[in-house]
Amino acid sequence: MAKDRSNSDDYSGPLKRLMLGVIMLCLIGLFLLWRIDSPRVERFRAQVVDRVVPSFDWAMAPVNGTVNIVRDFQSYRRIYQQNQELRRELQQMKAWKEAALQLEQENARLLDLNNVQLDPRLTFVTGVVMADSGSPFRQSVVLNVGARDGIVDGWAAMDGLGLVGRISGVGEKTSRVVLLTDSSSRIPVTIQPSGQKALLVGDNTTSPPVDFIEAPDQLRPGDRVLTSGDGGVFPPGLAIGQITQDPGGRTRIRLAADYERLEFLRVLRDYGNETIRDPGSLIAPRILPGTPEPDPEDNAEAENG
Amino acid sequence: MAERTQSRLWLMRLIFVAVCLLIMFLHLLPLDTSPRSWAGPDLILALACAWVVRRPEFVPVTLIALVFVVTDLLYQMPPGLWAAFVVIGTETLRSRAPSLRDLTFPAEWFTVAVTLTLMTLGNQLTLALFLVDRPPLWLNLMQLVMTLVAYPLVAFGSQFLFGVRKQAPGDVDALANRR
Repeated sequence: MAKDRSNSDDYSGPLKRLMLGVIMLCLIGLFLLWRIDSPRVERFRAQVVDRVVPSFDWAMAPVNGTVNIVRDFQSYRRIYQQNQELRRELQQMKAWKEAALQLEQENARLLDLNNVQLDPRLTFVTGVVMADSGSPFRQSVVLNVGARDGIVDGWAAMDGLGLVGRISGVGEKTSRVVLLTDSSSRIPVTIQPSGQKALLVGDNTTSPPVDFIEAPDQLRPGDRVLTSGDGGVFPPGLAIGQITQDPGGRTRIRLAADYERLEFLRVLRDYGNETIRDPGSLIAPRILPGTPEPDPEDNAEAENG
Repeated sequence: MAERTQSRLWLMRLIFVAVCLLIMFLHLLPLDTSPRSWAGPDLILALACAWVVRRPEFVPVTLIALVFVVTDLLYQMPPGLWAAFVVIGTETLRSRAPSLRDLTFPAEWFTVAVTLTLMTLGNQLTLALFLVDRPPLWLNLMQLVMTLVAYPLVAFGSQFLFGVRKQAPGDVDALANRR
């Protein structure tokens, strides 16, 4: 037996050792490359996901469906109770609907009076969640829309109720949404009605904490949290959730989006606001609007005369 | 005879890849997208360790490196680092496999536990050194413990389902002939 061992070592020892060395070099090289030039490797990762995940899709859809059916079936057992709850909620909702309709009309009237221009370009692409991050350490999902649908890194993703995360990593057919609960997620937010700016810091829990609040004593549980649009990360005014306090006294956010079951996500097209860079000239612009083929030199004089 | 062992060798390698793909697929299913406060076992790692200790030739180092680089990429981990640690760990186990062959299962389990613990700590340490976002330590340790708990199941499962046993002296002879 001992002879066999040494025999096999003699046979392929150096070759195996060389192979091992090459493999280790490749792996550590890949890690260092990722550390140094992260965007390039992340793009490569997006391409790998783009190749692998859609090929799983034919199997994922039925398995997902089956599991969801089983879960739904379990909930049939308390269907009566649920029905009662839903009726009660529906009553409340009707009252709220009336209020909302009145407010909407009033809002439209006021906007009309003030001649306010809302951003008309905020449209969305809807995608289906194909896969999640697969590990308990990262919170992200993969959508079935990608570069060919015009998805761009950094756009906001919402479900019907609130903000879910931001696009980070776009492949040809898929894109990855890093959820607000991921430990690398930082979102600038505004807290209404006190109007304070803060930062929503993901920490791998269901209700992420809020950081950098100026006056924490002005917050009340139930305050609404919206995106602030600071830093041009997101369009301002997207609903995120409500302020709560955990037993330790830390301010957290109960997210409005239904994180238990993310199925369809809207990716908001956001082309960013145009920034005004030059301070503006005091004298009239060199080319006045409405003049056909103006001579730029004596344009102003001609108009004055 | 040699023909048969050769085809069996490649069949078992294929089975290893297929089982790993299946586990990855189950992990990627978007069933629960809210953050969990617990971590399940890393079954692919347990499988790789169990097979390396039993039949090293079924899981060559290239295959392990490939599988774990793919998991790194798919699971949003720093690419290459965990794969490198897994390669180091499995190579250590591989070099000990001949001596582990004669020992009992608890001894094997203990060796695997020590190796995996060192790998996990090394990974955390390297990530801290490179100032990368680390996974929460207690989640990582929980995953380690769960992997170790699952290890006997994986080991016996692969023994009964796929016939991955420790080599008996007769097998070694056949192998030596083949080579």
